[in-house]
Amino acid sequence: MTKSLLIISRQAPWNGPSAREALDIALAGGAFDLPLGMLFLDDGVFQLAADQQPSAVQQKNLAANLQALPMFGVEELFACSHSLARRGLAADTLALPVQVLDDAALAALIARFDQVVTL
Amino acid sequence: MTTLHVIAHSPFGDERLASCLRLLGTDDALLLCGDAVYALRSGSEPHRLLQAAGLARRLFALEEDVQARAVANELAKAVDYAGFVELSLHYDKVNSWL
Amino acid sequence: MKFAIAVFSPAHAPSSRRALRYAEAVLAGGHEIARLFFYQDGVHSASANVVTPQDELDVAGQWRAFIETNQLDAVVCIAAALRRGVLDEAEASRYQRPAVNLPKPWELSGLGQLHEAAQVADRLVCFGGD
Repeated sequence: MTKSLLIISRQAPWNGPSAREALDIALAGGAFDLPLGMLFLDDGVFQLAADQQPSAVQQKNLAANLQALPMFGVEELFACSHSLARRGLAADTLALPVQVLDDAALAALIARFDQVVTL
Repeated sequence: MTTLHVIAHSPFGDERLASCLRLLGTDDALLLCGDAVYALRSGSEPHRLLQAAGLARRLFALEEDVQARAVANELAKAVDYAGFVELSLHYDKVNSWL
Repeated sequence: MKFAIAVFSPAHAPSSRRALRYAEAVLAGGHEIARLFFYQDGVHSASANVVTPQDELDVAGQWRAFIETNQLDAVVCIAAALRRGVLDEAEASRYQRPAVNLPKPWELSGLGQLHEAAQVADRLVCFGGD
């Protein structure tokens, strides 16, 4: 039976390759049709902010790749409500359609996946 | 399914421990290793956070890290690597907060 | 029981040494390591060019010996490796780079190998972040 994998992305988008490398795990898994979920937590929620201009720091557009996740079969996208609130990010302004979950719902989310990778 | 959460970062000036404790399931466990064992220092804020979390027998620490840092550990059950492997199997999955 | 162990940090990081000690304990406990997967800065744990002072632990050397002695499947993520300048002969030649620093027993491959290992193993355990 196929094991499900939750990828938890905790790093801000322009803080080195971590955000992209978390996404790459998701895209690779999606390409193999694996049951995946992706959770944006702590500074990871900054990846979801709208109107970012990565070219200003000579980086590739991460948002475009994030938006490709559903096309790769990764439709279970989540963000932590506490992380968003702490950072002044309103759920209805995010650049990616995510389910915003509170702490209890996040604990339940983690519990239902077979494997977890946090980076 | 239950999770063994593993944290290796110092809790001072880092969000991992606080976030983990918020998301910890009622049957999950936490293993502190590396600088995360500094959270066991009594009189510190992270220590108070751990006490408040009431993890009882679900809080573990890697013995070598406690020893290296001369942390007086009263809260966590100290384990060696064999114990770490056993814990990995006792809980359904392992989530390392990299 | 089968373990997949992923390493995300370089040889000088405490978490790389910890991963190695954990991997040793897995085998000592009578379990199997389905695959070791080196991602992000973990590719540096596979570098043949790391030189440690005589009075310090040679973690890169110990990883190599551990993998060879136990004939383990040790994969280094190719995308992460290229970005960080960790190249085997084929890639150094392909990109015309002056140095080859990824020896056997490591193999360069893609993230599919991490996913396959996660599917096959009873536990996926990751080390890194420092």
